[in-house]
Amino acid sequence: MSAAAAVTDSTFKQEVLESELPVLVDFWAPWCGPCRMVAPVVDEIAEQYAGQVKVVKVNTDENPSVASQYGIRSIPTLMIFKGGQRVDMVVGAVPKSTLSNTLEKHL
Amino acid sequence: MNISEKTTQASDKNLEAMRHFSEQYAKRTGTYFCVDPGVTAVVIEGLAKHKDELGSPLCPCRHYEDKEAEAAAAYWNCPCVPMRERKECHCMLFLTPDNDFAGDKQEISFEEIRAITNHG
Repeated sequence: MSAAAAVTDSTFKQEVLESELPVLVDFWAPWCGPCRMVAPVVDEIAEQYAGQVKVVKVNTDENPSVASQYGIRSIPTLMIFKGGQRVDMVVGAVPKSTLSNTLEKHL
Repeated sequence: MNISEKTTQASDKNLEAMRHFSEQYAKRTGTYFCVDPGVTAVVIEGLAKHKDELGSPLCPCRHYEDKEAEAAAAYWNCPCVPMRERKECHCMLFLTPDNDFAGDKQEISFEEIRAITNHG
């Protein structure tokens, strides 16, 4: 069971843009290999920063509007949103340390 | 046992074609598959699915506004231009030996791919 909830085109505004907490969004696709590597890292981050950061996932195949709106090209792409704004981005399967260091800057 | 195939997987024909291509291309370029065979299997299945749907093995690790147009443009058809020019595969299918995630294999069986992609 994943610690990161799925967000869709229709729930993105409410779940991400209007969130009180900073949000880490994992943009992934079903047949993207590196997405499989980053998923457990994202789940660990969700547990480690529970209460400080909200962690969600967007399937770009099923939710093309939000993926296009934020200019997603390479997958996986991890974006950090704060107060409805995108404040940072990490592209590719990165180690947990890279992700947590990026996240810490915005807490 | 459920014998009906999951509609989310590629045809056997194109999966075998992309599997064979991946082995040959890795050997020809001196690159290796990922230490995690799950990565390799998912990417080959994704390439085969795009070949089924679009006629070309468009990279499954990108988001496109228009998949048909991208397949026609060919830049991200596997092997993509960055791979051919600089051995850069962000999908982690073909990894140079110095990559931390590179394994020691240049082969993967059809059964191994399906065993992995059957379980998502």
